[in-house]
Amino acid sequence: MVNTIRHYFSVAACFARLAVQRQLEYPLFLFSWLLMIPIQYFSGIWMLKIIVDRFQPLNGWDFPELAFLYGLGLLSHGILVVLFINTWHIDNMVIQGAFDRLLLRPMNVFFQLIASYVNFIGLIDLIPGLIIFIYGCQLVGFEWTLGNIIKLLLVLLGGVLIRASLFISLGTIAFWTKRNASMVGFTLSMLERGTMYPLSIYPYVLQVIFTFIIPIGFISFYPAAEFLGKGSESFQLPLNFALATPAVGLVCFMLSQWIFRRGMKSYESAGS
Amino acid sequence: MLQAYWYITKMRLITSLTYRFEVFASVGTNLILMLASVFLWKAAYGNGTEQVQALTLQDLTTYTILSIMLASVFVCDVQDTIYSKIREGQIVTDFYRPIPLLACYLADDIGGMLSSMVNKVIPLFIFAALFFGVPWPASPLSFLLFIPSCLLSYAILWLLSALIGLIAFWVMELGNMGMVKDSIVRVLSGSIVPLWFFPESIQTISKFLPFQYTYQTPLGIYIGNIGVREGLMAMGIQLIWVVLLYVLLAAGWRRSKSKTLIQGG
Repeated sequence: MVNTIRHYFSVAACFARLAVQRQLEYPLFLFSWLLMIPIQYFSGIWMLKIIVDRFQPLNGWDFPELAFLYGLGLLSHGILVVLFINTWHIDNMVIQGAFDRLLLRPMNVFFQLIASYVNFIGLIDLIPGLIIFIYGCQLVGFEWTLGNIIKLLLVLLGGVLIRASLFISLGTIAFWTKRNASMVGFTLSMLERGTMYPLSIYPYVLQVIFTFIIPIGFISFYPAAEFLGKGSESFQLPLNFALATPAVGLVCFMLSQWIFRRGMKSYESAGS
Repeated sequence: MLQAYWYITKMRLITSLTYRFEVFASVGTNLILMLASVFLWKAAYGNGTEQVQALTLQDLTTYTILSIMLASVFVCDVQDTIYSKIREGQIVTDFYRPIPLLACYLADDIGGMLSSMVNKVIPLFIFAALFFGVPWPASPLSFLLFIPSCLLSYAILWLLSALIGLIAFWVMELGNMGMVKDSIVRVLSGSIVPLWFFPESIQTISKFLPFQYTYQTPLGIYIGNIGVREGLMAMGIQLIWVVLLYVLLAAGWRRSKSKTLIQGG
C-alpha cells in the first residue's frame, strides 16, 4: 500500500516536471496569459464596481460583498485550472488516440489523466483571485480566526470538487460523441456568471436549478452569504453552508467518478 | 476578380454551416451571457429606479442583447489565420495566389459573418424576443444609421485584428496576443457596460482611442442615446479610424512580407 502510494507520487512528480518544462518552452505564450487573465478578471470586478456606484447594491449586495463573492468564486476556479485542466481536453485525447495510451499503463486511468498535465500557467488565474479576495476580505472586515480559515479551506475544497465533477461528467460525454469542446466553453461561461454574481439576481427557476440540479450555488454564493451573515432571500435551507459545500462537492465528485467509469466501459478507440 | 473572393466567402459559409453542434453550443453560451447581463441590469435598476443618465432598463436590455448579437456577427479570425498559417508554413502557398492575401482573409471572415447571421443571430434574436420582448430600435431612422455604423465598426475591428496578426511575422510565436487585444476591446468598447457609466477621466481618454467606436457607437445609435447629428459625427470619427488603421496595416503589411520566414518544409 505504502509502496503503491509512493509509486503514484513519483509518477505525479515526473509528470509535473515534464509539464512545467513543456509550458516554459513558449515564453510569449506565458506572457500573453500573464497579460490577459488579470485584465479579464480585474475588468470584470471593475464593471461591477461601476454598476454599483452608478446604480445601487445588487439585491442587497454592496460592492465589498460582491468583491468577496467574486474573489471566492475566482479562487476555486484558479485551483481547478491548475489541477484539472485535462478534463477539458478529453475529446482531443480520444480523437488523437492519446487516451489509449493511458489505458495501456498499469495505473488508475483517472489519476493519469489528471496528473499528466499540471497546468502551472493556471497559477496566473490565482493571482487576480487572491488579490480580489483579500481586497474583498479587507472591505467586509473578514475575521481571520482559525474557525473561519478552516471553513474557508473546506469551502474551497468543495468548490473545486463541484467544478471538477462538472467537467469530468462533460468530458465523459466525449467517449460517446468524440466531441465536446464547445460544451466546455458553455460550462465555463455558465460557471463564471453563476459564481461571480449573486445567485439571487436570477429568476427563481434558475436559482432552483443552480441549487439542486447543477449545484454551482454552493461554490461561492451560499458560502459567501453564510460568511457575510446574509440571509439568502430566496431559499432558507436549514444548513450550515460552509459544511454543505464540501459535502455537496464530495457527492458530486463520487457521482462524476461513477459516470467516468461507465463512460470508459463504452469507450471505443478512435485511433487507427 | 470579385468572383474569386466570392468563392472564398461561399466556401467558408458552407463549411461553417456544416458544424451544427458547435453552433448550438455557441448559441447557448451567448444566451447565458445575454441572460446574465440582462438580469444584472434588472438588479441594478432594482425597485423604483427609473432612469440613470437618461437610460431606462429597456434601453440597456436592448443595448445588451444587440451587443451580444453583434459580437457573434463580427467574425475577426484574421489574427488567428495569419498566425496559424505562419506556424504551419502554409503562408507560402497562400502567397502564390494571384490576389491580395489580406483581401482573401477578409473574404473568408465575411463568409463567417454571413453564416453567423443565419445560424447564430437569428436564434439569439428569437430567444431574446421570447424572454425580454423584441429589441426594437428607437426609431426607423436610428435603424438606418445603425447599419452603416456597424459596417464601419466591423472595419475597425477587422483592421485591429489584422494588425495583431502581423506581429506573428516578426515573432513567430504569437501566443494569445489576440486574446489580450480582445479582452481590452471588450471592456473599452462598451460592449459589456456602456462607457457612459465609466468615470469621467476614462471617458475622456477613450474618445481618443478606437475602441468605443466599435460597439458603443452603433449600439448608442440603435437605442437612440446618440442622436442623428451626433451619430453622423461619430460615424465620421469611425471613418477616420478606418482610414488611419488601413494606412497603418498597408505599411506594416508591405514590410512584413519581406520578413516572411518559412518554417518547416
